[in-house]
Amino acid sequence: MSDISLSGGGPLANGAAPTDAVDTFERHRAALRASKRGWTIFALVVFAICLGLSIWISNFYPERLASGIPRIFEYFGTIFPELQWANLFEGRDADGRAVPGSITYWYTDFWTYAQLIWETILMAMTATLIGTAMAFVLSFPAAINLAPNSWIYWISRRFLEVCRGIPEILLALVFVFMIGIGPLAGVLAIAIHTAGALGKLFAEVNENASARPVEGIAAVGGTWPEKIAYGVVPQVAPNFFSYAMLRFEINVRASSIIGFVGAGGIGQELNRVISFYSDDRVLAVLILVVLTVTVIDLMSERIRHRFIGRENL
Amino acid sequence: MTTAAFDTLTDAHVESARRAHPGAFASRWSTAKRFIPLAVAILYVIASLWYFEFGRLLDASERVWALLRNFVVWRDMDTWAYRQIYVGISQTLAMAFLGTLLGTLGSLVVGFLAAKNVMPFGILRQIVRRFLDILRGIDQLVWGLVFVRAVGLGPLAGVLAIFVSDLGTLSKLYSEAIENIDRKQVEGIRATGAGPLAVIRYGYVPQVLPVFISQSLYFLESNTRSATILGIVGAGGIGMIIIERFRASLYDQVAFVVLNVLVLIFAIDWLSKRVRLWAIGEQGER
Amino acid sequence: MLTLENLSRRFGENMAVADATLEIPDGQMVGIIGRSGAGKSTLLRLLNRLIDPSDGRIIHGGADIAQLKGRELREWRSDCAMIFQQFNLVGRLDVITNVLTGRLYSLPAWRSMTQIFTAQERAFAIQALDRLGMAHTALQRAETLSGGQQQRVAIARALAQEPKILLADEPIASLDPMNAKVVMDALRSINQQDGKTVICNLHTLDTARSYCDRIIGMSAGKIIFDGTPDLLTTDMAREIYGADDDQFDEAATSTTLPDSEAVVALKEAAANV
Repeated sequence: MSDISLSGGGPLANGAAPTDAVDTFERHRAALRASKRGWTIFALVVFAICLGLSIWISNFYPERLASGIPRIFEYFGTIFPELQWANLFEGRDADGRAVPGSITYWYTDFWTYAQLIWETILMAMTATLIGTAMAFVLSFPAAINLAPNSWIYWISRRFLEVCRGIPEILLALVFVFMIGIGPLAGVLAIAIHTAGALGKLFAEVNENASARPVEGIAAVGGTWPEKIAYGVVPQVAPNFFSYAMLRFEINVRASSIIGFVGAGGIGQELNRVISFYSDDRVLAVLILVVLTVTVIDLMSERIRHRFIGRENL
Repeated sequence: MTTAAFDTLTDAHVESARRAHPGAFASRWSTAKRFIPLAVAILYVIASLWYFEFGRLLDASERVWALLRNFVVWRDMDTWAYRQIYVGISQTLAMAFLGTLLGTLGSLVVGFLAAKNVMPFGILRQIVRRFLDILRGIDQLVWGLVFVRAVGLGPLAGVLAIFVSDLGTLSKLYSEAIENIDRKQVEGIRATGAGPLAVIRYGYVPQVLPVFISQSLYFLESNTRSATILGIVGAGGIGMIIIERFRASLYDQVAFVVLNVLVLIFAIDWLSKRVRLWAIGEQGER
Repeated sequence: MLTLENLSRRFGENMAVADATLEIPDGQMVGIIGRSGAGKSTLLRLLNRLIDPSDGRIIHGGADIAQLKGRELREWRSDCAMIFQQFNLVGRLDVITNVLTGRLYSLPAWRSMTQIFTAQERAFAIQALDRLGMAHTALQRAETLSGGQQQRVAIARALAQEPKILLADEPIASLDPMNAKVVMDALRSINQQDGKTVICNLHTLDTARSYCDRIIGMSAGKIIFDGTPDLLTTDMAREIYGADDDQFDEAATSTTLPDSEAVVALKEAAANV
């Protein structure tokens, strides 16, 4: 930039026409645009190749899409309940039958769903607690500033990475095979994934903790666990808590779908109604799942804020 | 004043200290109270594991060993359909790419519709936002299952599932980015007498484009990861191959495919970390 | 008697402490002076074994401290309390728990991990806090205290260890002059009344002169002066601090206050310590 003003400043000061300055500026601009254009073309070509390959590999052709889209709307049409204003709030009649068109009719299996949702929440709670406990224990050897030696650090890091890397649903699939259909497989799968994901976050929190209290405990003759319990845990506990609560929210979502492979919870029912029926039951379960997830999110947010608020006092 | 040694501390010392600073001496109850949350959590975990029939894990050892053995001992490797496996992997990548691309394009429109400072009609904005909440509230895997029912097995359902769930999340992020922009630049463009589309093109787009691009790249990464499991519900890609092999009890092949998936996931994590570092580094130099 | 024989510590190319040889009899108050980076802090950390020596021996009670490991090393650390420039308290724990950590070595593992302390231990901690005039803060969080108060809590923690030797690494460098005086008076009283050895890093010459029986001067990792305060000439001090000839002024390293009313009051308070 400076050479522009220099070469432009001379002639101007002499009262000559400022053509030199304009020339230099134009040259620079042209060079800049040429290099920018080169990159843009390169990016566009790469993008076009990716796009073409993707379309070809996944058979994503317009005619398939065109024939698919009407079917989507057709399908969504079938899962809506036929509610009638007149009977909307009708209860069951004398024989215990629900009136067609009422909410009671739509949610005939409400108590089954409610029980499964309860099970889903229990699964998420158990998995979060177990996973958090594992993450808590592993996060200290997996923090570079606290690990007693590099071997233990390396092993615990890799272990957490593997726990985090395997998708929950794959783990659940394996567990379902090993121990049979039921919520236990889901709990174990989510707990392992939670241990990996939280362990990494916890280890990062540990690495940011002040070394001074740890040094202080070392200087009084404290053992490694004592250094952790007195020097580190009080510093990191609030962060650990809010990460664990956030993970609980994520785990409620996870346990609501992990039943797709038979690992318990409302997901099993969701899978069943979507796969075997295309009527209002699909929407009934979907609404309940979305409601559950939303309510849990709101409650957990409240708790986190209250806890952090109290901590800051 | 010197201090008495710890071992020579008498009950009288303790009593006088207790009288002077009663709060510093924990009662039995307050000590116990510290452990109540921990005890409750442990009791809950034990009770819930009992409810979930934890014993089944102990009974299952035979199957566990059989499965683990099959995972480790690979037989008849020359008969495995490698082509199919790697086509599945590339299908997964393709699904993630197309889904993210469509999601980004859709979010460009919907994001502006949901932004308070662009969308003057409050009712329409609220409708758009609630609609996005619903899209977000339903998991990608559920969308996958729904689209498999609607358009049949295969990657099309996967692309649509990624598109729909991205539309929900990206639109929200985009609209937030739009709402957080600098008002003055927009006023400047408006002051030149530009029409509404020109205001968006020159006032908004230059400010939000970097945010949009980085969000979309991040989503491309996370979608590649989630696309590997979309196939479990039949929505194309490598997940479909995993579940087929699993149902056919070809556990050695499952182990092979899962290993490939893990390598893919770690490679994507690494690559996207590099790309992000590179992007940040370039910005830092500027 | 604490004996150092050719104690050295290397950090890469740099000799942080080179060939330190010293004999420190029990009950002495020793001040170590020198510029920052002269190796004072490293020397103290070597004594406490927070840093491992590269070479040489540390002899105390017939044992080579430099070779200790595991439980014996922790026993040595508990016998050899350390006070830090930045106090190194656990900010989010209350003051009394911080002091009680001084007793960790003598606690069985199950009690230390569950943080259950006996009434006797608590009374002992209160007594230590009381001696520093901090007993009223026992239930506050350590991080809510001022720097001077935190350093007094740290000294109480050191007292709770019932150490034979007290090491203090720049204990007053982060404190204002008034608090510095309270802290130094406390260290002096521990040395004189309890007869404990105190080894103290100081960056100011006049503090060392007025509090210590013996001064050790360090420069570039080497001990270049060792003697009583009156042997420390201005020339020697100039060499230790490596100052230019015409710029050196002892007052430049001073933290002494003129005796105002506040200081008189504080001195009275300190006299009770």
